[in-house]
Amino acid sequence: MPARKLYFESIRVGDELPALAKAPVDRVQLSRYAGASGDYNPVHVDELYAKSVGMPSVYAPGMLVMGMLGQLISDWARGGQLRRYNVRFIKMVWPGDTVVCKGRVSDRHGSGGRYFVEIDLWAENQKGELVMKGGSQIQLFFSLEDENRQRSGQSPIVVEVPRESLVVPAPASASSEAASSAPTAPEEEDEGTDEPRNGASSKKTAPREKPAAKTASLPAAKKAKK
Amino acid sequence: MLDKNAIGRASPPTLNEVEKGAIRRFAEAIGDYNPIYYDEEYARASGYPTIVAPPTFPASFHSAADLRELLGVGIKSLLHAEQGFDYERPIFAGDRIYVSTRVSDVFERPGMSGKMDIAVIEDEGRDEEGNLVFRARRTLVVRAAKETV
Repeated sequence: MPARKLYFESIRVGDELPALAKAPVDRVQLSRYAGASGDYNPVHVDELYAKSVGMPSVYAPGMLVMGMLGQLISDWARGGQLRRYNVRFIKMVWPGDTVVCKGRVSDRHGSGGRYFVEIDLWAENQKGELVMKGGSQIQLFFSLEDENRQRSGQSPIVVEVPRESLVVPAPASASSEAASSAPTAPEEEDEGTDEPRNGASSKKTAPREKPAAKTASLPAAKKAKK
Repeated sequence: MLDKNAIGRASPPTLNEVEKGAIRRFAEAIGDYNPIYYDEEYARASGYPTIVAPPTFPASFHSAADLRELLGVGIKSLLHAEQGFDYERPIFAGDRIYVSTRVSDVFERPGMSGKMDIAVIEDEGRDEEGNLVFRARRTLVVRAAKETV
């Protein structure tokens, strides 16, 4: 049976999405993704080619990592409709790396019977380095009752919910490890802190980086000099 | 420096038929075993008309676009810097989606080793009635090939 759905009324700004630790990336997965996506760029599948262009090995296409972070969204937002999803690729993901996907609700708003939540998303490798960050907007029913009404052709429940963005009290020191590791992608870091904000919401202040339950047993990562 | 005249260049719409097997293989490759990507009954019980495609599935769509032609340069390397999707609705097995690609912007940005050429490429997917299904936006760092091409 399908898992229970997520409704707007139960979401609060600052809620964390349960972290998703993916299985370590390996070369078989890179081949499968190449086949499934039709992107056969040899830097992702041909070790000799990758080395010939100066890479230590093949590496994961950014879109594969974006797919993993997409799983975090869909797993959480069951019954919701994804409206927007965008990311910036920050660091390469290599065979042996474990991607951990994380997210946090940054805003919620609704008007005219349509309800949206905004999520900050990011992915880290097994060293806690930021490899990708982004955001997403999801449209949800207000409640089970709202869904039942709309599915039976009635008008939606209308509650005006103004945007309630996280107020970030400029934690200049908060962006520790992740932000300081130089991104491999050549674009400049144009934003202040990549770290999830803490302290802004009343309820979820406790351990600022809840480690994913599954990250405990990380495989020995053989990796990457660069 | 990339040619500014490339902005607006577009490829004609190309039909992409969304197949269940393709969705399954795509989800498997990501390691995402959510049954809405595999099991029709489960997908229906979840409120969808049929099997759904994962959010990044449009990455598997093809279009007639040849970036070399669109940008008007030989390309030595491309680096994918950013990606975004806007969805009008989910994509389902059985959809027939026409994808066209267009150069939406070309500019220079200061980088760690001099100026970088950036190209922003937009894909647009429409159904057979012409309704928008999704828009995708790629930001690429382009290294053009030297004269030797």
